[in-house]
Amino acid sequence: MSATTEVKPSNQHHQRPPFYRDATVVKWLFQVGALALVIFALWFLSSQARDNLSARNISTGFDFLSVDPGINLSEGIDTRPATGGRALWVGMVNTIRLAAAGIFFATIIGLFIGLARLSNNWVVNKLGSIFVETLRNIPLLVQILLYGSILANLGDLQFDSGWDNWIIWSNKGLSVPRVFIADGFYQWAVFMIIGAFAARWAYNRRSRLHDETGENTYPWIGSLAVLTVFAIIGWFIHPIFGWVGNIFGFISDGISKIPEEALQFLLSAIAIFVAANWIRGFLRSRRTPGGAARLTDDDKFRVIFAGVGAGIAIFAIFIVWPGLSSWIINSSSDLFEVLENKFGDGRTGGPFGADRPEVIKPGKFEKYGPSGLTMSLGFAAVFFGIVLYTAAFIAEVVRGGILAVPKGQIEAANSLGMRRSAALRTVILPQALRVIMPPLGNQYLNLTKNTSLAIAVGFSDLVQVGQTVGNQTGKNLSVFAIWMLFYLACSLTISVAVNFFNVRLRIVER
Amino acid sequence: MSEMTSIKTGKRPEEVSRSPSEWIRQNLFSNIPNTILTIIFGIFTLYAIRGILGFVLSGERRWEAVATNMRLLMAQGYPANQFVRVWFTLGCLMVLTGLSLAIWSGKGRLSVKKISNWVMSTGLGLAVFAALAPISASSRLGWVIAGALLIAGGLGLWQRAKNKTTETLHTIPTVPFSFGFLGILVLSLWVVPFGHYAFTNGELVAETGRTVAMSTKLPFTVMWLLLVGTYCLTNLVRESLPIAQAKACLVGLWLLSPFILNWIVLRDPDFDYGHIVSTDIPLAALFIFVGGGILFMLAKPSLGEIGRLTAIALLIFGVFNWVAAFFGWYPMLQKVRISFVLLALAALIAPNFAADRKTRLKFVTGWAILILISHWLITAVNSPSTLELQGPTYLGGFSLTLFVAILTLLLSFPLGVLLALGRTSSMPIARVLCTGYIESIRGVPLITILFFFSNILPLFLPQGMEIAELAAIVTGYTLFSAAYLAENVRGGLQSVMRGQYEAADAIGLTTSQRTGFIVLPQALRVSIPPLVGQAIGVFKETSLVAIIGAYDILRIANNVVPAQTEFLGVKREGLLLVSVIYFIVAFSMSKYSQRLEERVGLGER
Repeated sequence: MSATTEVKPSNQHHQRPPFYRDATVVKWLFQVGALALVIFALWFLSSQARDNLSARNISTGFDFLSVDPGINLSEGIDTRPATGGRALWVGMVNTIRLAAAGIFFATIIGLFIGLARLSNNWVVNKLGSIFVETLRNIPLLVQILLYGSILANLGDLQFDSGWDNWIIWSNKGLSVPRVFIADGFYQWAVFMIIGAFAARWAYNRRSRLHDETGENTYPWIGSLAVLTVFAIIGWFIHPIFGWVGNIFGFISDGISKIPEEALQFLLSAIAIFVAANWIRGFLRSRRTPGGAARLTDDDKFRVIFAGVGAGIAIFAIFIVWPGLSSWIINSSSDLFEVLENKFGDGRTGGPFGADRPEVIKPGKFEKYGPSGLTMSLGFAAVFFGIVLYTAAFIAEVVRGGILAVPKGQIEAANSLGMRRSAALRTVILPQALRVIMPPLGNQYLNLTKNTSLAIAVGFSDLVQVGQTVGNQTGKNLSVFAIWMLFYLACSLTISVAVNFFNVRLRIVER
Repeated sequence: MSEMTSIKTGKRPEEVSRSPSEWIRQNLFSNIPNTILTIIFGIFTLYAIRGILGFVLSGERRWEAVATNMRLLMAQGYPANQFVRVWFTLGCLMVLTGLSLAIWSGKGRLSVKKISNWVMSTGLGLAVFAALAPISASSRLGWVIAGALLIAGGLGLWQRAKNKTTETLHTIPTVPFSFGFLGILVLSLWVVPFGHYAFTNGELVAETGRTVAMSTKLPFTVMWLLLVGTYCLTNLVRESLPIAQAKACLVGLWLLSPFILNWIVLRDPDFDYGHIVSTDIPLAALFIFVGGGILFMLAKPSLGEIGRLTAIALLIFGVFNWVAAFFGWYPMLQKVRISFVLLALAALIAPNFAADRKTRLKFVTGWAILILISHWLITAVNSPSTLELQGPTYLGGFSLTLFVAILTLLLSFPLGVLLALGRTSSMPIARVLCTGYIESIRGVPLITILFFFSNILPLFLPQGMEIAELAAIVTGYTLFSAAYLAENVRGGLQSVMRGQYEAADAIGLTTSQRTGFIVLPQALRVSIPPLVGQAIGVFKETSLVAIIGAYDILRIANNVVPAQTEFLGVKREGLLLVSVIYFIVAFSMSKYSQRLEERVGLGER
């Protein structure tokens, strides 16, 4: 860099350094060389893998997804999956279930422990500290195995295990009461959407009244009341929305009539349009007042990358994966068909149901009946493990966030005469949330990735199922690709969700 | 900047002394909600302690399973007749610790008040233990008396410290205090025989054999004596030592110790002396003298462009050797290939030593030492081990855990720094490659990476090339943790101010000089606390190798001990012990990192 930025007197004409000292040349040579090396290494490794696989009579590819793997899963939506793809799908659902439940409970527990660590009460404070320091310094895997072995040593399942059919525990796992979505839920949801609009209207109206008159009009309470009224009315008369299903059926029929080629051309046009639009906007943003754009290496690289990206997308649409468009057509048509069913006529039950767990004895041994929410031993071990472990980290995040609010803010709120609760709600928490959100998102990501430790206690999550399927069919490589895509998709989803809140919480600057 | 990073020398404000009744009123019963909280959580705590004690001390617990298998848990199947090597390794570490403590002169002091607090809380803990634990009445009385004595002692210390005014009297130096504490622990081995049991015919027998593998009290006493002895001796001669050189020397020893202790002391290589005399020594001499000569020439200030071109040619040649070896184009000793790469790297940094004759000679001496050490290590690693083993490796249990953690940290650090530099560099392709690598590795769980390296990696290797299970694990783990490390280092790099780069350019430093001498030292200093946090994470996640099938401490506690016929299904005791061991190491590291953070001045912004 320093070689090219030397300043020479203007009467001497500029002398270029030899090409091997020219910073631009060396930089690009190095980069192209590195890229070539990486591509070469990948090509070499993949050709080796091809040779090795053909020597062992194993074919690559994803055909195992439609072949019966012949395995039984310990639990999930389908314990005897008919195809490899179905087995992996069951694993994914189990992972998502575990992660979603884990995120929910870890957040709540973490929040309380974090607040406990800020408490003035010595006992509460110390208990919080001990919880955090102990749990975050013991590896998660050790914790999961320990919880698993403790649960495995509970008594055998009997009709009187647990507590009065509210919570039942035994070495077969835990069972707790459950609330579930019943028949009429989707039509009731239509009612609730209308209710939400009405509630928003009520909120706006009341807060306008508040702004005009200065009286306390409680806009939140008003809108909640509107929503509650809608919920109660909807509970009884929701079947009147049966016609919504017909609309979905109409859309489904329409989609299935679209020709494949039309979709292919449409997708390519979209790809080209997006790339061209991006490049145009980029060039415009780089334009100097003088007229022409001055581009650095980086900028050129971005423009080229955008163009190449569009090309790759078109190549993929037409040649690599020609079935993509028909897949999109079929699956979206299927999706609307499912919606037609869910919203259709003839669904009369209430939107929700609730039930208590029970023990049944279908054969020789007792087992949990279907009425309760049952956690198998493996699920319970991993669940407690990830919830407690992540809660310890979330507690630290929460504590750090609240401590990060400057003391002056609290003093200012006090001097304005705000009550403690109002100051907490409108001054401290919004500022603390801004600090808490990004690391909290990181913890959610860690939790999702940590569900993969379920393999240690034999819970059928994606990694465990994938490992079994891979060993059965020899397609470890393809399974690894699926793992990678799934976890990257999860990470992306969580970061997008966290970013959304982060943007909403940001200070609006002038 | 200087204000922010300077070490805090000022004392903290002295805490206001409060009488115990005042303290209790302020912290526990200040108002009605507080009182209710105290009562509810106090009862909850007592119940929890009672439950945990009941679990740990219950008659169903079979702690003898852990006591009998302590050697298995720590060093797995290391041959009993060679066990003195394990103690020798530990002894070397003790000597190094003692030397470092003395050379860096730990000046920390503990206030007597703090110690009396600790003593009193231990006494209180014993009293609570005696009240709640399910033990017989007579032993309960004994524990109560012990607790009362400790509380009385602590109170006495407190009163004495209160009356003292000068600092030397109400504080004592930390190092001797911790030596004393360790000494008490070692002494307790002579009274309570933990961990040297044998389980024969359903009965526990203490001190069965007199071999070093079976007994622990004598070796641990020797370890303690080594630690304290080295510390005292070094302190005596400290004044007459050149401190700067001694520090550099010690850092080098610490960095080398994992390699020497593992591959030479523990592994006991069987050197082939004929081959050493005929090949290894001449090769080393060749590289030292010819390579040293080349480097001496390359460091000449008047050399100009040719030096740079030579260095690049050497680098291309060094890399090409590896490509050729991968395809088997021409034979070359691995040692020679490594030496050529080292020579190329040394040639690249040679212009930094372009000065008078003395500086250049220093540079060449460094080269000679590097070649000697690396050749010796390569020879030792490539010689077969003489140990008679049952399994594939002599490492197992806690030693495997430590090995994987330390090696992973040592190897992933340079890789992580390179990745961070790549990600923050101005070169678009390099940046995209590094970013893609870091983000895709960080997006997937460690266990999938480990599965990839232990199951799938063999598919990618050329025919006839194999990789050992442990090597595959360490490779995968290193590549994984390097991505995380890179993010920590990137945080540090971003905190280096723009002006520093510009100043480096202004005085005419090259890009590599700017990075090595200006940017990285500042960036790494800032990223030390997160790096220690990362090290804790690496240590904790080492437990995942148990899933892959390596016999680390967790797998032995979870799978091996419960499969022994005497202790069928005894799992919880071992897992609790493993938790305690992990906790002690990770907790002390995190406390250290907190202190470091205070010293570096982060968190004060």
